Amino acid sequence: MTNGWIDIKNTDMMLIMGGNPAENHPCGFKWAVEAKRTRNAKMIVVDPRFTRTASVADLFCQIRAGSDIAFLGGLIHYAIENNRIAKDYLLNYTNAAFVVKDGFKLPEDGLYSGFDAATQTYDKSTWNYEEGGDVSGKGPVRAAAAKTVLGKDGKPAPPHLPENVAYDLTLKHTQCVFQLLRKQYSRYTPEMVERITGAPKEQFLKIADMFTSVRKDGDMKKVATIIYAVGWTQHTSGTQTIRTAAMLQLLLGDVGRSGGGVNALRGHSNIQGATDLAGIYEILPGYLKVPVPTDTDFKTYLERITPKASKPHIWDSWNYWSNTPKFAVSFMKSMYGDAATKQNDWAFHYLPKVDRNYSWTYIWDNMYRGTVKGLFAFGMNGVAIGPDSNKNIEALKKADWLVVGEIYPDETSEFWKSPGITTDEMKKIQTTVYRLPCAGFAEKDGTFVNSARWLQWKNAALPPPGDAKVDQEILARIFLKVREMYQKDGGTFPDPILHASWSYTNPLNPALAEVAKEINGKAYADLKDDKTGQEVKAGQQLPGYSWLKDDGTTSSGNWLYCGSFTEAGNLMARRGTEDPSGLGIYPNWAFSWPANRRVMYNRASCDLQGKPWDSTRKQVWWNEASAKWAGNDVPDFKPDSNPKDHMGPFIMNPEGVGRLFVPIGAVADGPFPEHYEPIEGPVENPLHPQQSNNPIVKKFTTDADKYGTAKDYDIVCTTYRLTEHYHYWTKNNPMNVQLVPEPFIEVPAELADKLGIRGGEMLKVTSARASYQAKAMVTKRIKGMTIDGKKTFQIGIPIHWGYRGISEDEGRTAKTAANLLSPTVIDPNAWTPEFKGFLVKVEKV
Amino acid sequence: MSQATLRVQKISGHSGSVPGQDAQREFTVCKLIDTTTCIGCKACEVACMEWNDLPFGETVFDNTYQTMPETRWNYWNLILFNEHEKEDGSLMWLMRKNQCMHCAEPGCLAACPADGAIVQYTNGIVDFQQANCIGCGYCITGCPFDIPKMNPKTNRVFKCTLCSDRVSEGLEPACIKSCPTGCLHFGSKDDMKDLAEKRAKQLREHYNFPQAGVYDPAGVGGTGVVYVLHDATKPELYGGLPADPHVPWSVKLWKGPLKWLGNVAMVGGLIGLCVHYLRYGPKDRDDERVDSEGGKS
Amino acid sequence: MSSSGHVLPQGRILRYAFRERLTHWIAAGSYTYLMLTGLAFWSPWCFWLAFILGGGQVSRMLHPWVGLIFTVAILKMYSMWAAQMRSTAADKSWWGSIGHYIRNEDEKMPAAGRYNPGQKLLFWGFLSCGILLFLTGIILWIPEYIPWNLRFLRYVAVLIHPAAALLTIALFLVHVYMSVFAERGAFGSIVRGDVSLAFAKRYHPAWYEEITGQTAPPKK
Repeated sequence: MTNGWIDIKNTDMMLIMGGNPAENHPCGFKWAVEAKRTRNAKMIVVDPRFTRTASVADLFCQIRAGSDIAFLGGLIHYAIENNRIAKDYLLNYTNAAFVVKDGFKLPEDGLYSGFDAATQTYDKSTWNYEEGGDVSGKGPVRAAAAKTVLGKDGKPAPPHLPENVAYDLTLKHTQCVFQLLRKQYSRYTPEMVERITGAPKEQFLKIADMFTSVRKDGDMKKVATIIYAVGWTQHTSGTQTIRTAAMLQLLLGDVGRSGGGVNALRGHSNIQGATDLAGIYEILPGYLKVPVPTDTDFKTYLERITPKASKPHIWDSWNYWSNTPKFAVSFMKSMYGDAATKQNDWAFHYLPKVDRNYSWTYIWDNMYRGTVKGLFAFGMNGVAIGPDSNKNIEALKKADWLVVGEIYPDETSEFWKSPGITTDEMKKIQTTVYRLPCAGFAEKDGTFVNSARWLQWKNAALPPPGDAKVDQEILARIFLKVREMYQKDGGTFPDPILHASWSYTNPLNPALAEVAKEINGKAYADLKDDKTGQEVKAGQQLPGYSWLKDDGTTSSGNWLYCGSFTEAGNLMARRGTEDPSGLGIYPNWAFSWPANRRVMYNRASCDLQGKPWDSTRKQVWWNEASAKWAGNDVPDFKPDSNPKDHMGPFIMNPEGVGRLFVPIGAVADGPFPEHYEPIEGPVENPLHPQQSNNPIVKKFTTDADKYGTAKDYDIVCTTYRLTEHYHYWTKNNPMNVQLVPEPFIEVPAELADKLGIRGGEMLKVTSARASYQAKAMVTKRIKGMTIDGKKTFQIGIPIHWGYRGISEDEGRTAKTAANLLSPTVIDPNAWTPEFKGFLVKVEKV
Repeated sequence: MSQATLRVQKISGHSGSVPGQDAQREFTVCKLIDTTTCIGCKACEVACMEWNDLPFGETVFDNTYQTMPETRWNYWNLILFNEHEKEDGSLMWLMRKNQCMHCAEPGCLAACPADGAIVQYTNGIVDFQQANCIGCGYCITGCPFDIPKMNPKTNRVFKCTLCSDRVSEGLEPACIKSCPTGCLHFGSKDDMKDLAEKRAKQLREHYNFPQAGVYDPAGVGGTGVVYVLHDATKPELYGGLPADPHVPWSVKLWKGPLKWLGNVAMVGGLIGLCVHYLRYGPKDRDDERVDSEGGKS
Repeated sequence: MSSSGHVLPQGRILRYAFRERLTHWIAAGSYTYLMLTGLAFWSPWCFWLAFILGGGQVSRMLHPWVGLIFTVAILKMYSMWAAQMRSTAADKSWWGSIGHYIRNEDEKMPAAGRYNPGQKLLFWGFLSCGILLFLTGIILWIPEYIPWNLRFLRYVAVLIHPAAALLTIALFLVHVYMSVFAERGAFGSIVRGDVSLAFAKRYHPAWYEEITGQTAPPKK
């Protein structure tokens, strides 16, 4: 979330799309209801189904799963054409005025400039800003004959952002971002939106009018928020969908403002924490990029990952990521302590260099291919999670060993007796399975980091039962055993293991408070802030990430968490309920990264002079007298940057401004989002049938990977969760099972009539990969729709069942998991599988 | 239960006076359910089960998100889910938390013959005392909302207590405590009515619900549970909420006129027979008894 | 009735055969229980009856079962006595002279048969109320199984059941009064089965005539 849960109460307008917070985040959803109750805020819900959230919405519109970019693109088109945009914000806080390189081409035919069909990748050199200052009133900038700059290795150097960007503050230049944006989305007319999404034109226009009404007549007081969850991410266009939302919010001037923003609702209690601490293979904690094989030394690595400011010369940009070296060195100190020295490049060579994609689906794919031999599965049920559960089961059969840490026996640990397997087949499985009983969430202390980026400390409610152990004890024991073996037997490269910092009071079971202190970081030498005179002595906890140094005098396991556990104590355990501003900031409740800031980019909540756009929602402001930024929230800005200097509020971007156009390689599939059909789409892409899918999405190629077409599979299927259940755990709890006793398939009443199905009858759903059976829930809440002239139905399957649980044991399920059906194919940026919007056929059993 | 705060003002099947009758009480308690902000998350259902230590029961899939078709003796709080298609074709998914309404004039209590099996406290809570319940089920007939449910094993009837045990200690009912969206409120009847009316006004003026209103049916003297409805003219849409609930006329007739008529008739009949005997005596005088051996002819 | 109505030695007439007496007492016993427990449920003033009879729960549990016994008993009575309980032309004039009957001026009454019209009323009254009580009682026995959309059945039942019971109580009072206090010998007849010839002659002259072939002598 750019903002936070409580901040939703400050909004005037909500667009909830790709998420069903009433179902999946009922506690956080209270703030959406609060906004309705206290501010008369409006709520718009756009979803493939009429959901629990839709039941309290002011406007609901059903769209086809996987068509979100078309809908959002339509909103962008509507906002621009009806002049419902935040003019000053757009001009000064986004890259709307930046001029893009001449060779850049929009994807009218489905492809941006630079596509290489053979490798299915883009040469992104034209996806860049033009160099050269103010070009207003001038024609296209004719770049000097392209000089190929060669890198050290003799190959062309990767493109980089120009230091002095060409711009046109009149926004009239044909290659300026705003005009390109306008042109890109001019194709997303209400008629086209209807063809792609199935949302009737009138309904779309009603929603477009309501949502953009916050910028009616250029008024900047009102704020709209966009709220989403995995209904957006779990697509081959997931990242781009979220970008479209961000662009719309930048156009409307809603980012950085109380009651605004682009707000991701995280689906697990600590998924935000997992992401912050390198939950994915290509980042280190704190979103530092992971080293790659060409990073031959630390300097090369830092040069590659540290951005340089890129802006119109008349503007200023803080470019906060320029501090990357400080974060990286502090991280290395945290990992290796005294073993990380300037002389040994801060032990940089201890870090693995990642040579290819190791994301979720590739782990399973590699196991299926036999190259991954073993798996630790802690707190996740890979078989049930999928995609393509059968492929994962087959992969586990080929592994040498599997270690499962869980609180219940689950599908993954019992893959060897999955339904349908014969005794003979079972005998052939050679995988050794170790099942380790773990502690449940209430049996361990530590933190949950919620969607609002709050690090909230929790205490254990009771000790783990029986032989169950907390995760850190299991991991510590494995680590220490491995280290012991390296010590005894040596090995190819024992240093990273032998020198890893492990200075816990009880090495076999590190206290999480100690780990939290380590993540926060400490000083290795006496430090002094020359401006304030504040001192931090060697060995003391650091007060915040502004203290981090790149000379080895500080450590921090994750710079974003620096300031969470200081000499003042564990700030994550704070429970202060004071809210002086009334904006729901609660500065003394827990710790919100970064720097206990509740709304990110909050400089953008003020106009150019540093005055809040809305005087009733004062987050931060420029205090002329003290020549400093002050605020109810912690200003997300250079504290003494005078508004006259025109420093951009989006300090994490090298441009200092929000990106309507994403230059170079930050997003793999295009600087502007474009609607592409899901890999299994019911129609050819109405925008460009010859390029229906995302051109850079690669299908997987093992014999298990099968993909269906609309010819054989005519129904769009989406998967989701229920409020009554938590993933694959609660099927073991009688209380939850009583609330929703068995799996079901939501079927539109119209389709049920066609198939001759009544509620409660068994249905068989088949995708190119497998079949799934459950009872039909015949409902009016999903309606048949017309997609590009073709009658199309959608069905929905909640994911919570499998072959281990109360209902399963009682024979009330067909003993199958919903993800048997889903395809192994992923978003090219975030590597999220396309769990939503694949094709199936449906029959009566 | 703390007797200090839970004085009884009405007792079922009771002759004589009632301890809390005419006792002064500042306010009666009330639960406000705003159906327009209910998301059907069932937190209240779970909280109810957990607080009241109700045992798990079997349920089966029934083509709905609703946990079970109706409340049970061991499931006092149930959200009813109803899909309703409006005239303009748009859909409403109505969710209403159903439980005892704690009527000011409770039909269950009126119908109950067992002394003290049903009581109404001065704070308005209608509570079943299972120790005194005889299992006749008259309360089931007396209730216009179909709430009391019989445990077939013990033949005693159960329903929502409005967490009288919590309320007596100054806490809100468990369902209120658990509600994540704030669709449930608890307080004095006056405050809740005020809040409900304000919300209904907001719905009429700022949202597209011109018929929004408050459900507090006069037919049962008002209820200790009031609803805000999107369309107060059609409460039936919300899982059959009766538009104008009354204690059934037959229960009223039975417990009213019939009872007095019957009592008078019985007592009058007895007296009449005694008077007849005094006036006329047996049909055969002692000197002409016909029942002796052989008789006198 | 084949087994009753003949003259026994010692100048007595068998009025009720064993089967009839047994049936009567089964009905009487069950009715008394039903009435007492019913009264307990009827009014808080009578709820103490339930305690005496084993408590409210037990009373409520047994009441319907005993009701079944009572129902069977009155159906048996129907099969035994229905033929003799038919109203005759003479009954009308009997009702016309009811004032004499009340004033114990039996000699001024038209001759009654085995059962006088009052007894017939008792019979038919108990039978019809008994059936109503049975039908409504079934509903009240299992109100939780009556579907919500058939709830009017429960509403009807709670009214009919006590109303019918009240009617039977009225009949019951008169019946007990007549048989125990007013017509001496009547109680003995339902215990031992026989009545004196004088009893028959006095209270049921037509019946007396039927079984003895004599016209009852006029009263002194």
